Amino acid sequence: MPAKLWWMIRKDLLSEYRARRVWPAMLLLGILVALVFTLQMDLLPGQQRRIAGGLLWLAVFFAGIMALDRSFALEGEDGCGEGLLLYPVSPTLVYLAKLVVNVLALAVLELILIPVFIVLSGVPLWTHPGLLLLVAALGNLGIAAVGTPLSALATKIPRGTHLSALLIFPMVIPVVLAASEATRLIAEDDFGAEGWRWIQFLAAFAVVFVVAGIALFDFLVED
Amino acid sequence: MEMPGTRSVRRTSLVEGLASALVITAMLAIFLLAPTEQTMGVAQRIVYVHVAVAWLGLACFLLMAITGLLYLGHRDLAWDQWSQAAAELGWLTSSLTLLTGSLWAHAAWNTWWTWDPRLMTSFILWAIYSGYLLVRGSLEDVHLRARLAAVLALVGALDVPLVVMATRWFRGIHPQSPKMELSMRAVLLLSVVAMSALAAVLLVRRRGQLRLEYLLEELQEQAEIRNDR
Repeated sequence: MPAKLWWMIRKDLLSEYRARRVWPAMLLLGILVALVFTLQMDLLPGQQRRIAGGLLWLAVFFAGIMALDRSFALEGEDGCGEGLLLYPVSPTLVYLAKLVVNVLALAVLELILIPVFIVLSGVPLWTHPGLLLLVAALGNLGIAAVGTPLSALATKIPRGTHLSALLIFPMVIPVVLAASEATRLIAEDDFGAEGWRWIQFLAAFAVVFVVAGIALFDFLVED
Repeated sequence: MEMPGTRSVRRTSLVEGLASALVITAMLAIFLLAPTEQTMGVAQRIVYVHVAVAWLGLACFLLMAITGLLYLGHRDLAWDQWSQAAAELGWLTSSLTLLTGSLWAHAAWNTWWTWDPRLMTSFILWAIYSGYLLVRGSLEDVHLRARLAAVLALVGALDVPLVVMATRWFRGIHPQSPKMELSMRAVLLLSVVAMSALAAVLLVRRRGQLRLEYLLEELQEQAEIRNDR
């Protein structure tokens, strides 16, 4: 199973690498959103630290939705989706492969956006790199775990891909909220028990929706 | 052949009459029986309606998810019709929750809106209902629509408790369960019961309507096939 999973992840990454259809646009959108947001951050340093986390995660969400949105759209072309389901792999594996690719897309986005935010806003987010990494990893997993099945759902709707953002956003508000709060605590150098509670929340959210995604994905691809 | 649904018209009109009478009684009780609250004055009477519709907004969500799950298990479109009826009623009641809550907030906190946990939860609930209805509206195939809607309802049902948890960790200003005088509590209970009765009637009627709509479409399709022959 790990080998099959790896091959499916590799397929998506390779097609993105060759065609570069989504990631460059996603990164550019992320940088533009970050720029527009930090333009509004002409505040006192204390206030900047308070809001930087929230704005960072909003930028991640808005740009990341492009990757989530497109994760199944390509499969609609030339019968790729049917081909994928004819592979000797279970739908669960298809879901997991797409989930991993989406988590990676969000990670690449953050790799660019976090430094951009630090430079543009001057908020020291790098003081606890380990914690920031943990928050980012769990936040990405949570967003992708909800976003992957819902984007698969949206591709089943004729002319409905624009709906995926509308469906995903309300559902991932808890993740954006928790990750923003944890990032704020990092920026304010006041992580402590409150920060760990948000980490636990992010982990719980990710577990619930990865399991739910595995359970419900079969219903999305049958027919 | 008797048209399906005609038998029950007389019976439901009686039930509808009772539910309406109950709602009118509750309204009279809200305005005439309930004592005026000391600090907030007349505006506090909004609470009697607000709590009732807020409860219905949550109850319909649960119903929508349960009937969605039953559809996925049995593949019987009847469950999907219940889901749709619950979603429409839930959208209506959660819109009313936001509206009445906003009016109450203006009177109580001197602001139309604030980011309190319960307000945020109600808002997200409303957004999920709206997305759900948009998805339903853009699908023609009844079984595909039922299947996708059921998955969406289940994802939403898992999400709502997490929304509640996440937002509660911010400090909130929404009254948890404020102490009320006995007569106030009685009126509140009456209002919740009356609104629930009305909602149940609307739910059953809407589902009946959806069922007839589906049967009609089936008949039309059969007629078309026969004409083609």
